[in-house]
Amino acid sequence: MSEGKYPINLWVNDDRYDKLKNAGLADMCKEMLAGLKVIQVYANDAEKDQILKLYPMAKFDSATTKSIELLPREVKDKIFDKVIVQKSIDTAVGAFLADH
Amino acid sequence: MAELGHGGKKIVERIMSASEAKKKAKGLTQIPVRGQIAKEIINIAYGFFTPLQGFMGKKDLDAVVKRMKLADGKTIWSIPILFDMSEAEIEKYGVKAGQTVLLTFEGNPMATFKVDEIYAYDKAKICKSVYGTDEDKHPGCARTYQYKDKFVGGKIMLVNKPKINPPYEPYFIPPLEMRKKFKQKGWQRVVAHQTRNVPHTGHEWLMKGAWLQAYGELPIEKPIVGVLVNAIIGDKRKGDYIDEAIILTQDELRKSGYFGDHNHLTSLTFWDMRYAGPKEAIFHAMLRTNLGLSHHMYGRDHAGVGTYYDAYDAHHLFLKVQKDLKIKPTFSMNWLYCPHCGEVTNEGLCSHKPEWQKFSGTLIRSIVQDGVKPPRLIFRPEVFDLVMESAEKYGFGSPFVTDEYLEKRTPVFSIPPMKV
Ligand SMILES: [Zn+2]
Repeated sequence: MSEGKYPINLWVNDDRYDKLKNAGLADMCKEMLAGLKVIQVYANDAEKDQILKLYPMAKFDSATTKSIELLPREVKDKIFDKVIVQKSIDTAVGAFLADH
Repeated sequence: MAELGHGGKKIVERIMSASEAKKKAKGLTQIPVRGQIAKEIINIAYGFFTPLQGFMGKKDLDAVVKRMKLADGKTIWSIPILFDMSEAEIEKYGVKAGQTVLLTFEGNPMATFKVDEIYAYDKAKICKSVYGTDEDKHPGCARTYQYKDKFVGGKIMLVNKPKINPPYEPYFIPPLEMRKKFKQKGWQRVVAHQTRNVPHTGHEWLMKGAWLQAYGELPIEKPIVGVLVNAIIGDKRKGDYIDEAIILTQDELRKSGYFGDHNHLTSLTFWDMRYAGPKEAIFHAMLRTNLGLSHHMYGRDHAGVGTYYDAYDAHHLFLKVQKDLKIKPTFSMNWLYCPHCGEVTNEGLCSHKPEWQKFSGTLIRSIVQDGVKPPRLIFRPEVFDLVMESAEKYGFGSPFVTDEYLEKRTPVFSIPPMKV
């Protein structure tokens, strides 16, 4: 069985967009919902399980969005900071979890 | 002139004057009730549940379960309204048929209850009929199984009016008052929008679409059709939008001019959702008939939960019993954002299906949770600002229900102290 890839949507406002631009990551943004920018970071199976255990209010929405949703804002802020530091959407979640 | 409600029955408020209440309540055995029952007492007393005058007896319950009707064999009724007690409580309070007791909420007298009968009924049979399943993981079944083992039927009279707490008080508009408001506004038709949500533009367009459908062949020289947002306020689950954000943002669509006084009004009904899908859709039709509405909007999977009901089950059941209902349905297709059209459009209109960006409640909540303001085509900036303001003012920092909110929130209504 291949390793799962579970997106987390980090919604991008002007402030986040400037940070992404400075980090050279602006082209990683996708557009969803009338031009609203989003950057998707990915958790693997183990990371998904760990993050849902740490934050029980969050859930993996397998039915509609196919993403991990309802994480607290502070958590997503921290993951976003990791994206900027790591300059990667694949290792940000791992780096965030390493701090916990 | 009498105001006629559901089943063609006159709407009568079952509320005693203060002096009469004092006399009638004196010396009665006091029985405390929980929130669900208190809400239903309010609904009975103010006529939201016309023609019910109290909690159902066995004949009515049996008719609802077997034929989706009251015992008169004519009036449609889809969800039982029951007062439950355990044997031990019946013994403790000495409850007997023919006796009148005083129901209290949070320690204060609320209503007299004239007991007609005490009976038992098969709960699984209620579930199968109302919810189409007897699985206890269905939230409506779970609520039914939580009823204690005996039911008490009898009439209710309110002795003490509820105090609706801020910011909800302008939105509690009972049937007789609502009908006056519609007359003042000159609305000949009013369409109901059922909600438990903070509105995104997909919801806004559901209302606009329903308004256009309800307008139909009427003359357009002056505004004579309105939308009534009727928010269901009841038990909350963690992760729901907080009630304050729901009611205030719905009204904000009018205040900010997306609608106006001439076509939009926001109100609430106290009710713990049963998630009965089609049966709840019929229940909503009865409720809003009593509120004086001519039309009711139904989208996909109305009041459903999980995968218990098909998207259009509610529509099918409505059409089956339509001749016995006064209210007319407007059925709505989904609204979505199409980047090709560059606008919010309808799945029945636009052909750019591969490009569609559908409104997902989960995604919108995810955006709100991040505190990121979405484009105005998706979410109105005034609504977004008000959600954030409500989070600070009422939600202990969160626009969604948390443990802290459940514990510390201001109740929507309270029953004031009353000496008896
Ligand atoms: Zn299109």
